[in-house]
Amino acid sequence: MPRTDAGHRATAHTADLRVEAWAPTREECVAHAVAAVVESVVGADPPPATTTVERDLAGETDADLLAAAIDEVVYLLETRGLLPSATEVRATPTGLRARFAMVDADALEPVGAIPKAVSLHRLRCERGPEGWWCTVTVDV
Amino acid sequence: MRITEETPYRFRVEREGGMRVPGIVFASRRLLPDPAADESLHQVANVATLPGIVVASYAMPDMHWGYGFPIGGVAATDLDEAGVVSPGGVGFDISCGVRLLAADLDRDAFEPRLGAVMDALDHSVPRGMKRGSVWRMSDAAKLRDVLEGGACHAVETGHGVKRDLLRCEDGGRMADADPGGISPRAVERGLGQVGSLGSGNHFLEVQAVEEVYDARAAQVFGLRPRQVCVMIHTGSRGLGHQVCSDQVRVMEKAMRRHGISVPDRQLACVPVESEEGHAYLGAMAAATNFARVNRQLLGEAARRAFDSGAGCGLDLVYDVSHNLAMVETHEVDGRRRRLCVHRKGATRAWPPGHPDLPAELADVGQPTLIPGTMGTASYVLTGVRGGQAFHSTCHGAGRVMSRHEAVRRVRGRALRDDLEAHGVAVRGTSWKGLAEEAPSAYKDVTDVVDASVGAGLCRKVARLVPLGVVKG
Repeated sequence: MPRTDAGHRATAHTADLRVEAWAPTREECVAHAVAAVVESVVGADPPPATTTVERDLAGETDADLLAAAIDEVVYLLETRGLLPSATEVRATPTGLRARFAMVDADALEPVGAIPKAVSLHRLRCERGPEGWWCTVTVDV
Repeated sequence: MRITEETPYRFRVEREGGMRVPGIVFASRRLLPDPAADESLHQVANVATLPGIVVASYAMPDMHWGYGFPIGGVAATDLDEAGVVSPGGVGFDISCGVRLLAADLDRDAFEPRLGAVMDALDHSVPRGMKRGSVWRMSDAAKLRDVLEGGACHAVETGHGVKRDLLRCEDGGRMADADPGGISPRAVERGLGQVGSLGSGNHFLEVQAVEEVYDARAAQVFGLRPRQVCVMIHTGSRGLGHQVCSDQVRVMEKAMRRHGISVPDRQLACVPVESEEGHAYLGAMAAATNFARVNRQLLGEAARRAFDSGAGCGLDLVYDVSHNLAMVETHEVDGRRRRLCVHRKGATRAWPPGHPDLPAELADVGQPTLIPGTMGTASYVLTGVRGGQAFHSTCHGAGRVMSRHEAVRRVRGRALRDDLEAHGVAVRGTSWKGLAEEAPSAYKDVTDVVDASVGAGLCRKVARLVPLGVVKG
């Protein structure tokens, strides 16, 4: 039976951050994975966004598109000091387009280690009988 | 997986499937990872499948679950047998490493000044999520000088003294760096991070020499009992991470052309002697030079804090990388061979008499710096003749507990109070970040060092204990 719920959580990894997400669609699933990473850094209730950033995400596979989304979050945090408090993802003919509603990270108190890169080790984003599921390990 | 105990400190992972060589794990029974909770033993077997690997896929006593390679993994491939280089064998944080500086001050004289020095460090060491760096690079051309010149460039421009370079691996500058091979995105990430600690397990600690095991080596290194020191653990920051990410993507595509397949995407690799192999080594060398400048600039920030807070200077003991691939010559099966030695969470430990050592260290071997955990100890080791695993040893305590679990079990504020009650001053950036790095999340660094010595990888020179911790 197709799933109607969507969500995310952190799972165990010895040294780094591993998250998984699930949703009825690929795009929602990727957005939830982004939310899981952000939650690990600043908690579940970031303040309202002050700006938005849109980015095209490219990749040969759904897993690579997931990696591209998290990569973008890492890049925007390091170079512009911004973190997404909410993320919308839609499909495009060449991949995905993400709309990040951003908050100023410099004003936030971190609650966990800071993400620095996306590992390809056991990176998965796939459709199952119940809907979409993905998992990603993030170097912190 | 079949594992045979060869000695109390050496376990053999027998060849099976696509393994070209066996796995050799240097550990005690107690330190061997639990395969149910940690995949590092399987990763040792995966590394053994790499084309051109020689002798064994090694793991050090602090091994734990990484990506592609285990953390604590060492693997050498033969350049003349189409041996490969894998960015996963270096890791995201290229040239992550440790720098140790020593003050001309004993802990008894220093203790009244600890608070002032810690406050100065708290103010001057950029770290955590906030952007900021000791050395602000105004444009990519200036960063290019850093990537080419490493610590030599930093010293030439007034950030340090010439003697510092004698106490860095490769004289502070890795040759054959190719800044042109660094992507614009990596440059952008690096511009604002020259002289910044980062977060996670990176730290700056004020320490004291608690015990000296080898008085002569300690004297040559510049260490004496009760002496105050500063240990800095950080790497190439976002620039190095981006280089690794970029190069893994390039190699994944190139592997098909080279007819290589690997059991884990993060093990993507190409022959060292290929266009993509040379490109990776050039970019890796540039990121390594960035890491050395990063630690050089943080060392300078520490010197200023000690000057203002304690009225004394700091001399560099040594600077090592524990995430690196180096082309080295080693004897294998009676023949000298050019090998690409990957050390992923492992430290090179040249023995006494090694030709690459500076003259003043030649009689005692390479200082090998092993950071422990916040509440315990760190070690200074040195290499031994007949050392194993291409003269490699451990790199730290090694995690056993996930960050998730550490935060569930430990309260950051309580940990800080406990450390302060034991005389360790703490300057952190977040309570949860502090809890993630709780000493209980790691193996006992003394067990790790004892296993390394027992396995014939190194010998002990000194043990250092923390007086103050600056955490990212």
